[in-house]
Amino acid sequence: MKIRHLLASALLLVGFQALPAQAQEKLYVYTSMKESLIGQLKTAFAAKHPEVKLDYQSAGAGKLMAKIAAERESGKILADVLWTSEVPDFYQLQEQGVLQPYVPKEIKALVNPLPDYDGTFTAVRLGTLGIAYNTRLIKTAPKTWADVQGAAFKGAYGIANPALSGTAYMSVSLLVRQFGWGYMEALRANGAKMGKGSGQVVDDTASGDLLGSLAVDYITLDKVDKGATLALVYPPEMLVIPSPITIFKGSPNAEAAKKFVDFVLSKEGQTIIAEEGTLPVRSDVQVPDRYPLPPVADAMKRAIPVDYKSMMAEKEATIKKFTDIMQK
Amino acid sequence: MTGSFRFGTPQILFGLAVAILVIFVAVPVLLIFFNALWVNGSLNIADMVKVLSERETYKALINSLILASGVTVTGTIVGTFFAWLVTRTDLPYKGAMKVLFLVPFMLPSFIGALAWKMLLSPRSGYINRFFIETLGFPGPIFDIYTYQGIILVETMYLFPFVFIQVCGALERMDPTLEESARISGADLFTITRKITIPLVAPSILSGALLIMLYSMAHFGTVAMLGIEAGIYNIPTLIYERIHQSAGSFAAIRTGTVLSTVLVIAAALIIWLQNRVLSKGRYQIIAGKSFRPTEIRLRGLRLPLLAFCIAYIGFTIVLPTTTIFLVGGLKTYGLPIAVENMTFDNYHHILFEWDLTRDAIWNSIGLGLAAALITMFAGVIISYVIVKMKVPGKGLLEFLGMLPFSVPGSVIALGVILAWSGKYGINIYNTIWIILVAYIARYMAFALKANSAALEQVHDSLVEAARASGATMWQALRDIVIPLVRPGMVAAFFLIFLPALRELTVSVLLYGPTTRTIGVAIYTLNEDGETVYAAAMAGVALIIIVTAEVVVKRVFKIEK
Repeated sequence: MKIRHLLASALLLVGFQALPAQAQEKLYVYTSMKESLIGQLKTAFAAKHPEVKLDYQSAGAGKLMAKIAAERESGKILADVLWTSEVPDFYQLQEQGVLQPYVPKEIKALVNPLPDYDGTFTAVRLGTLGIAYNTRLIKTAPKTWADVQGAAFKGAYGIANPALSGTAYMSVSLLVRQFGWGYMEALRANGAKMGKGSGQVVDDTASGDLLGSLAVDYITLDKVDKGATLALVYPPEMLVIPSPITIFKGSPNAEAAKKFVDFVLSKEGQTIIAEEGTLPVRSDVQVPDRYPLPPVADAMKRAIPVDYKSMMAEKEATIKKFTDIMQK
Repeated sequence: MTGSFRFGTPQILFGLAVAILVIFVAVPVLLIFFNALWVNGSLNIADMVKVLSERETYKALINSLILASGVTVTGTIVGTFFAWLVTRTDLPYKGAMKVLFLVPFMLPSFIGALAWKMLLSPRSGYINRFFIETLGFPGPIFDIYTYQGIILVETMYLFPFVFIQVCGALERMDPTLEESARISGADLFTITRKITIPLVAPSILSGALLIMLYSMAHFGTVAMLGIEAGIYNIPTLIYERIHQSAGSFAAIRTGTVLSTVLVIAAALIIWLQNRVLSKGRYQIIAGKSFRPTEIRLRGLRLPLLAFCIAYIGFTIVLPTTTIFLVGGLKTYGLPIAVENMTFDNYHHILFEWDLTRDAIWNSIGLGLAAALITMFAGVIISYVIVKMKVPGKGLLEFLGMLPFSVPGSVIALGVILAWSGKYGINIYNTIWIILVAYIARYMAFALKANSAALEQVHDSLVEAARASGATMWQALRDIVIPLVRPGMVAAFFLIFLPALRELTVSVLLYGPTTRTIGVAIYTLNEDGETVYAAAMAGVALIIIVTAEVVVKRVFKIEK
């Protein structure tokens, strides 16, 4: 008897898992945005579009691209929408013809940092990276990118693995373009480490395992809000990295995908993004004053210029060279 | 029955048994070997050697070996010592101590690893911080991200393998052997050296080999503590390759080659273990004439009791408490103090966050489904193996036990090869692919439990039923199944409980909505969401311990 009960309940359980959500549109978003950002957007999106059941996979850009590649191999891409900060990936996917162009409804209200814009992918936020340091252990704030090469950060400065994290890859690439490989070699000589994901290096800085790290704005500021002994500073040459969003061609949920793209670019979506501590792409949305983020125009002026096309070609070589230096 | 090829119940049973084993077990494992050895349709050993001679792969092999040997040595020493202490000495409260030493078996070692990371990571671990900040030490007292750290953590959670075996042997040992030595004038030291140790040696060795088998194929601890410091073993390297190389064939091939090595090593260990056991078994036949003399610890009684309590406090209480406390921190890195605590993390993962809620239901659903399916399949297959006189059942037995020696990462890889569309069925990214892998992984448990139960059902019972006119099916339903029900229930729990906390297999197979509890904790930690990882681990501990306790209750009632 008991076994029969167990059987029934187990089948019910498994059955529920397999049942499609009742009369709903589905949507899979693969994104490198962390829970603090994508979780809030999901909640707000669900309130506005209850007819869409949104699921997301939040992981580093490198992992997501690996997953997408494996899914393409097996014939079916599960993701409908891709949203990461690894811009070259988007140009590459565009070249391979797997993206569905969609010009968002409110395009006129948006700042576009991407050259040759044709609606294939649209920047949703301008990610910035600065130096996060643990205020419990470091008393003098670093001011320039060279400051983390000094004795204060010896053996305890971290950069996320560019093979895993899109922002880390873009940053390494930009810093090398600006300061040359000598910059990375000097960091390594000072004992800098390559960590795992972009979230992990910030967490390690908050805990004190690292004294400082190359850190993404909202990941750091979210922890500061929760009371972490962290501070984020921006050296004069800024790292400003757009995070584009795109829809996969042939997505069975293209309509829901368009709703999501429009939502994250709407004033409501952009306000959530700004509240979380990262730069919005709408000029009618302001970042709260408590954050050390410069205004969009200022950030763009200070930004190290980006050449996406050449980045795409150099990607593998850059990652390999960086890894070799860091693991020497 | 023999001779006539009527298509009756026995044929259906036999066919079903073969089909289940071939589809779920044989195909995935064979595909691993096939992909490892064949390149573009021809046998290519040279290429396999080439993969193995790459720096990263052979380093992973060596690391697996170093870690497994280290854990085996320390785990055996710890396990044997405590087993001796609770069975052969007059240690106070030794009954309770024996139960407590088995608790680490309940705790998933990757949760232990997470806790020890929080306690002993060089700059921020709470223990290290205490020594540096409060006691003024110049540097950390212990760095967990090292070989020693990994060995230490694995030892804490794997020593029960030896402990259980040695306890059993010491309790079953024929005390007259020791008594006759004593009567002949041998002192305690001589008795221990010449009688006791040789008698329990096979049990020690067999427990040690179990530790080695487990540790070599172990993913969680090495993934949590090793990857950061560049320490990879075979399962973590397989994971890294599969996840980072875009699922390319080169990555899968490296995985299959590494898997082959792992399978061969595991087979070797199992073979050794069988030899040891068959050699040692006749020597420890139970003869419960009277209890063996207890060694008087005298002045050491209390110090040793204190040591045992300290050990349990250090390896069980401290890490579990840390998990729950860090899970309640507002953000990682804050000191553990009332003003920094919150229930938000627990609330978020239990009621708001789909990722963690999905993970909990997935693990429970997968555990129940895998346990039920495997339990029924196990009865059928065991019946064929134990009761039916059909040719080729030896092969069935081999197939059924195969996953026992095949490490989890290998099964996962085999399942990817078999079920991701190449052969018509594509369940990649769905919950079903994990279920299929679990069925393969846990089949051996079901076979063991069911075979043991079936062997006790005498053939004459079925024959009597058949003679009275029952069909084969009726005889099975009315005679055999009721009699083997305890075996089936045992099989159910033997599978449900480990499946609940499984990580090695599901970490290679999970998709966006198909995380398991283990995967959720692991990926949260990897993403730098340490407090959420800890809170999730706390919830997992509650679920696991509740399941264990409930299960033990139910199980007793069934008996």
